Amino acid sequence: MAKFLFVTICTVANLFAFLPVIHGNNFETKATQFFSSGHTNNWAVLVCTSRFWFNYRHVANVLSVYRSVKRLGIPDSHIVLMLADDMACNHRNPKPATVFSHKNMELNVYGDDVEVDYRGYEVTVENFLRVLTGRLPPSTPRSKRLLSDDRSNILIYLTGHGGNGFLKFQDSEEISNVELADAFEQMWQKRRYNELLFIIDTCQGASMYERFYSPNIMALASSQVGEDSLSHQPDLAIGVHLMDRYTFYLLEFLEDIHPASQANMNDLFKVCPKSQCVSTPGHRTDLFLRDPGSVLITDFFGSVRKVEITREAINLTNPTELPQDLTSLRNELKSEALFYVDQLPVADIIHQKPKQKDWHPPDGFILGLWSLILLVFFKTYGIKHLKHIF
Amino acid sequence: MAAPLTLVLILSVTIRAVLFRSSLAELISERVEVVSPLNAWKRVVEGLALLDLGVSPYSGDVFHETPLVIYLFHFVVDYAEIVFMVSTFEFSGKYNLFIKQKYALEADRYPHDCLELMRSPKEMHYIPLKVAMFYLLNPFTILSCVAKSTCGLNNAVMALFILSTLKGSALLSAIFLALATYQSIYPLTLFAPGLLFLLQRLYIPVNPCRSRFWFFTVQYSVMFIGSLLVIVCLSFFLLGSWDFIPSVYGFILSVPDLTPNIGLFWYFFAEMFEHFRFFFICVFQINVFFYTIPLSVKLKEHPVFLIFMQIAIISIFKSYPTVGDIALYMAFLPVWSHLYRFLRNIFLVSCVLLACTALFPVLWHLWIYAGSANSNFYYAITLLFNVGQILLVSDYFYAYLRREHHLSQGLYLRRKDGSEATLVLK
Repeated sequence: MAKFLFVTICTVANLFAFLPVIHGNNFETKATQFFSSGHTNNWAVLVCTSRFWFNYRHVANVLSVYRSVKRLGIPDSHIVLMLADDMACNHRNPKPATVFSHKNMELNVYGDDVEVDYRGYEVTVENFLRVLTGRLPPSTPRSKRLLSDDRSNILIYLTGHGGNGFLKFQDSEEISNVELADAFEQMWQKRRYNELLFIIDTCQGASMYERFYSPNIMALASSQVGEDSLSHQPDLAIGVHLMDRYTFYLLEFLEDIHPASQANMNDLFKVCPKSQCVSTPGHRTDLFLRDPGSVLITDFFGSVRKVEITREAINLTNPTELPQDLTSLRNELKSEALFYVDQLPVADIIHQKPKQKDWHPPDGFILGLWSLILLVFFKTYGIKHLKHIF
Repeated sequence: MAAPLTLVLILSVTIRAVLFRSSLAELISERVEVVSPLNAWKRVVEGLALLDLGVSPYSGDVFHETPLVIYLFHFVVDYAEIVFMVSTFEFSGKYNLFIKQKYALEADRYPHDCLELMRSPKEMHYIPLKVAMFYLLNPFTILSCVAKSTCGLNNAVMALFILSTLKGSALLSAIFLALATYQSIYPLTLFAPGLLFLLQRLYIPVNPCRSRFWFFTVQYSVMFIGSLLVIVCLSFFLLGSWDFIPSVYGFILSVPDLTPNIGLFWYFFAEMFEHFRFFFICVFQINVFFYTIPLSVKLKEHPVFLIFMQIAIISIFKSYPTVGDIALYMAFLPVWSHLYRFLRNIFLVSCVLLACTALFPVLWHLWIYAGSANSNFYYAITLLFNVGQILLVSDYFYAYLRREHHLSQGLYLRRKDGSEATLVLK
């Protein structure tokens, strides 16, 4: 008994000893962490939990988010995409090898660079939880792993059919909100994320984030408990609904975001109000340490590096000189901030429809045609009418 | 005369307007019997949209109408219904003069006992109205107009050609014939009856030895070919390229699109081996043009009836017929109502045509939607429908010739010894 007590006191003392090492030594770093993001890499886990042709819209939802996330900079190596992937080559698809997300087939989200990591029957609850927690067999390839660290911001997007407290996976099993919350807690304890944005577009989606208890999680859902999330438009040519309302308006919102955009989470919370969505979207920010107004959209949806450009040489070898140089340099940097030129043409990234110009027949043609008609008219009916015109 | 015609006009406008606004309009414009790849409205809109996007409308297998149709519709595409209604009405307004012409030519030179064969002026007074009614209230025309198929425009141009021929204006007749040939190649066969009528009107006998005959023929053909060339060159200037020629004329002649319709080409060419395809295309196309010469030789005194026969033959044997083409020659039938007593199969023919018209959508549904029939069923009805039309046309031909025979030989035939004789067609 005494031994046991001694061991527990030792472990507690060790924990207290190590805490400062883990969380940083001084108040200043904590404060800076408070007010800036502090992440160094971005990951995305995008899951569509349905299969079969009539769940076309769930695949289109996930592929739209995938497309936006790739466009804003997250590479395929940092995206874990889980789809049943039975839409594009389905026998019932009138346009094979495409998955459309707008009516009138405006946007093909299944381009030629979609990399699906978990396909078909691999999209199971077990695989999803293993991806999140990292407890995968050693033979799993890198593309199927979530290799995040404690400086990663992760975006998790789930869509499919859900209910109060559960999400249905591929018509055969379910994941409950308790399991999901426990998986996130495992991730927090293993320091597998810096901040997590959880978006879910299913019926009664808010029930899935009710049980979260780990810090630094922000959650959005497309509908409250007791409400259904509705789909947006059917396409008569394809024969199914193409997208869900929440993700449709989310996609529209994301199409206007470019890597240099300063839009923050408060704008994201306003996406799809009840008038457009019919259901009431919800969000949860109590577990998140930063103020949502200071969180940029690109912190989660894009892979934006925080870069400060300087022309000065910083001497890092002599530690005693470090504070003075830093303070002087900081003053100089504040006076002239340098920026890179926009690497990507923003106008192209932002969704823009080309202006349609109407075709007009050439003037020569009109002249020729009407003069011929007039000639024939006067030839048939006599030249005397000419007098009346001129 | 004006009042009943106005009434008929108002009635037909009402029917068309009601159908345009109802949900049936979309259903009708999808029917293969009413629209063909040549004259579907959907394709016109598609072609105009392609043009707005900066692409030639003839790229791809979408649009097969002539460039003048593009010019006509590019600013009236929203008011298309009105355009089609107007073209229908101008067609129906053609026959007042027409009838008077016909009567004037027949007034003299017949034996006395044929008075009952002759038509009295009173009868003829109502024929224009009947023709107008037959065209405007014909369900085929209504369907074609509601579907906004450009067949209505083709019909209007052919009607203008007939009118200008009957009025005797060679230039206008040549121009309208050129326009009709430019739209679809087949009205080329109407060159012969047009020429014959104008010759008859100018009292030039059809005799190859006479120089007057050749002079007029050359004049007319020069006008025709000249206006055709002018129209083709003008369409070149509209879009700046010659791709309309393979898209329009190449399409009509080589029949690449085998969507089922009420014609004879599709089934045959769907199962044709590639090796023989060219040969059979030639055979089928020659079939349309082939009847011109024998018929003109036989009917050189009666060019108006020849026009009717030619139009009927074009509607039956063309590569993509629709019900709008049939409505065109059916509108002529009241003009020959006096032939009724000589028609032999009219009941059978009308039953066949009605039954086939009713069965077309039924067998289409069974084939395409229910899956319990196949293309043979639909083709059988197509064949039967065309056979019915051929029977109708040949019946009228027989009746016409018989009447002519009676007019020259007398109505009650007697043999040389005075006993009664019957006329038998061998």
